[in-house]
Amino acid sequence: MYLEQSFHKQISFSSFLFENDFLALFPEIFLVSTGIFLLVYGVITSTSKSLNYPLLSYNISWYAIMALLYTSLLIYNSPINNAVLLYNTLVIDDFTQFVKITCLLSSACCISMSLQYIQTQGDNAFETLILILFAVSSMLFLTSSADFISLYLAIELQSLSFYVLAALKRNSEFATEAGLKYFLLGAFSSGLLIFGCSLIYGYTGVLSFSECAKIFAAGVVPFDGIQAVTTESALVSLGMVFILAGFLFKIAAAPFHMWSPDVYQGAPTPITAFFVITPKIALFAVFLRVFLQSFYDLFPIWQTLVIFASLASMLVGALAALSQSQIKRLMAFSSINHVGYLLAGFACASIEGIQALSIYLIVYIFMNIAVFSILLCNMRHTHNNGLPRIKYITDLAFLAKTNPLLAFTFSIAMFSMAGIPPLAGFYSKAYIFFAALGSNLGVLAVVGVCTSVVSCFYYLRLIRIMYFSTPKTWCSTARVPRTNALALAISLFFLIFCMAYPAPLHLITHKIAIALCV
Amino acid sequence: MSYIEMVLAVPLLGVTALLFVPSWKTQTIRNIALNSSLLTFLISLLLWIEFDSSSAVFQYTNGICSPSGFSDVTLARAASSSSFSALNFALGVDGISLFFIILTTLLVPICILVSWNNIEIYVKEYCIAFLVLETLMLTVFSVLDLLLFYIFFESVLIPMFIIIGVWGSRERKIRAAYQFFLYTLFGSVLMLLAILLIYFQTGTLDIEMLYLSDFSETRQCILWLAFFASFAVKVPMVPVHIWLPEAHVEAPTAGSVILAGILLKLGTYGFLRFSIPLFPYACIYFTPLIYTMSIIAIVYTSCTTIRQIDLKKIIAYSSVAHMNFVTIGLFSQNTQGIEGSILLMISHGLVSPALFLCVGVLYDRHKTRLLRYYSGCGQTMPLFALLFVFFTMANISLPGTSSFPGEFLVFIGAYQNNSFVAFCAATGMVLGAAYALWLCNRLVYGVSKPDFINTWSDLNRREFFMFAPLIAGILWIGVYPEPFLDAMHCSCIYLLYAQ
Repeated sequence: MYLEQSFHKQISFSSFLFENDFLALFPEIFLVSTGIFLLVYGVITSTSKSLNYPLLSYNISWYAIMALLYTSLLIYNSPINNAVLLYNTLVIDDFTQFVKITCLLSSACCISMSLQYIQTQGDNAFETLILILFAVSSMLFLTSSADFISLYLAIELQSLSFYVLAALKRNSEFATEAGLKYFLLGAFSSGLLIFGCSLIYGYTGVLSFSECAKIFAAGVVPFDGIQAVTTESALVSLGMVFILAGFLFKIAAAPFHMWSPDVYQGAPTPITAFFVITPKIALFAVFLRVFLQSFYDLFPIWQTLVIFASLASMLVGALAALSQSQIKRLMAFSSINHVGYLLAGFACASIEGIQALSIYLIVYIFMNIAVFSILLCNMRHTHNNGLPRIKYITDLAFLAKTNPLLAFTFSIAMFSMAGIPPLAGFYSKAYIFFAALGSNLGVLAVVGVCTSVVSCFYYLRLIRIMYFSTPKTWCSTARVPRTNALALAISLFFLIFCMAYPAPLHLITHKIAIALCV
Repeated sequence: MSYIEMVLAVPLLGVTALLFVPSWKTQTIRNIALNSSLLTFLISLLLWIEFDSSSAVFQYTNGICSPSGFSDVTLARAASSSSFSALNFALGVDGISLFFIILTTLLVPICILVSWNNIEIYVKEYCIAFLVLETLMLTVFSVLDLLLFYIFFESVLIPMFIIIGVWGSRERKIRAAYQFFLYTLFGSVLMLLAILLIYFQTGTLDIEMLYLSDFSETRQCILWLAFFASFAVKVPMVPVHIWLPEAHVEAPTAGSVILAGILLKLGTYGFLRFSIPLFPYACIYFTPLIYTMSIIAIVYTSCTTIRQIDLKKIIAYSSVAHMNFVTIGLFSQNTQGIEGSILLMISHGLVSPALFLCVGVLYDRHKTRLLRYYSGCGQTMPLFALLFVFFTMANISLPGTSSFPGEFLVFIGAYQNNSFVAFCAATGMVLGAAYALWLCNRLVYGVSKPDFINTWSDLNRREFFMFAPLIAGILWIGVYPEPFLDAMHCSCIYLLYAQ
């Protein structure tokens, strides 16, 4: 009976070679095919004379939200939870599931926040949504990639979509400049990344993370049948450092952060929101896998570098943001600062560190959703009837007078970003410090604490501008769109009450940290 | 539901009710806020009545041990395997925290009463801010978990920042709010690291468990200094006291009342609750530091007070002097000193708010706090003048008023430990009398200045009612302090000699 069963399994496996793989990849397949379908639908409909060349952005953004939600449902209910797919190219486990669902939900949130922006902007750029869908699906592949080739390909698909998205406003100088800068620096960082990968491949002869791990753990590489070369070689370290540099470029950590303020400022606000909120979690996910799995035996080398990057990001983020006057640029520096804290969790490389990092990421996403869903609301001047949006931080001045609830939410988000106690931001920061102290990284904890006080200055400045200063021009907010209001309400609720009942967050992040580390 | 949970719940219920009242119904809003805070006060009196003063353990504990209150097995296990699970909302009251809780619940209705007419903008938000602040402060005094203590200790910043910034009086208020926020924050983030370090060593943050644990001597000193950085800002000790006069002067009257009555007590309460029992070696080691800083503070701020011309600044600086008497008592390592300092904190929590209320009364009428415009209030506002002289006498600890037994015990305690310190601190008595009487002289006596002061209305009934409980409290403690000392005696002994 036992034999029979196993025989039957073998038969079915060999006859349907990819059956289980396709089953496991169903969410990704669904998302990509939705993207293609929407592209065809958009192209055909928008050029149709009989329909009078309709504007499709609003329409397609609802479809995109639906697609993202369905995909997250598919992932949540996926029948295969723990597997290596497509001949060791992709891997799925608890960790990837969590990261994918977070990516999908946060990008759905980003699109729904910018619905009104899309509607009032009136340019018929429905391909934005298609590009966002492709970027998200590349994030899904990125999260579950298990070798260097799929990692690189997924990152490239994501970056390519991002380059186009950044330069989307063709008639704006800032946007084209942002796109160009982003493209050049992004391509450069991808070059670093692929050079690192090729060094590793040339040295070890394997591409898969797990194979790499085995080779490095054994301390030797099979080199022409003679097992004599140790992994302490400079070439392996060099490759790893190149990969790390590429990673730091992509997440805009401090020595490699130059592109991010310009790009964040130049890109249209919904795209900035998307850049700020979604890609970090996927990038962190895959590079955690690379560094904790493949390069775990080179831990001392990369830990030093990550500690340096973390310190530099905290300092740059805290100090450079002090003198910003434009809100998006300020948020860019603030996100550099947050990346510093995230990297502190990365540097710990313990279960606690990973857990702290994932809690921080979730809180970070919620805080940024709160901020950007306010920035994406329409504001109306009393004098001219244009619809200017908040660009300079002094534009916030009227908010507390005309829309106190919005101002309250914004200031709660700011207090949370500054890490003031009863809010979620404090919880995540304290947990990062806790993990850092646990891994003997007291320096990171002390510097982190000091920079969080410094960063309080500029977060408080935003609150001060809203509440205490009298505006020069009075604006009034147009009615806050329902989707933005919903996003705001959810994030506000989370930020305030997270501390009251943190157990579920703990449970989930602990589970995924174990899934990654074991 | 234990009493302490009820005390915490009632203001929150008030906040919930206020959220559903439209903001133009200001009278209803004020009534709801006043009634809920009065109800809180009455329930907190029950805490005292039912208090068992022969025991040093925490009473009215609620027995919640899991972070969520859920009994679900997986959740509890997950929580216990992860690290901040030790965060438990365990509440309890002992002889030390009992009076701080009652003081808080007493002062909040007074705060709402004092701003009955003079707060005209954002009334609803104002009431909500005060009730939230009340809950946070009550939680600080009743929580039995070190990290939760830190969290609530810090979270007081947010409502206070808003109260100073929004309802403060002048342009300078923004600077004051900033200073208040950043000084306190910078002091206390180091304490966060210290708390995490404690957690690493002991694996728990529960106060009662921590009282039983031991730290090495070097580590005690490091932890003590980190805690000190936070508490010294709140107390305030002398180099970091700059935020206090600014914050006081710019805050609305009710804000000053809370600031002087409760928030200054947070630092000394922290010393009492954590520094003294957790780090006994470091306490003895650093006693000279505390003594030196306190004496400098007493003499320096008393002398500074003499030359101030802003009414609120005078009272603010005198608060600094009194709080430094408290720190001298706390570190005298004997029960007299500690009991005296607790009594002095309670007394200061009555007297200093009363003086701020007096300034508020004057400010409401004449819209200035500069002393040179005032003179001869005794002629135009006799009832006010009577109360002002009474509170000034209480401020310089005349026998028969509440400050006297407290200060007396502090001196006894300090004298037993170090007579020179007692001598230096006693000069503060003379200097205190100097500035207080000088102030009284300029304000109450003399000829009134009709060029500046042209409305004469004495205290009205609302103002009298807000002063009445303070007068009663001051006289009661001054004449018969036994009920207070009895209730705190066992806890103080336990605090000192438990190890």
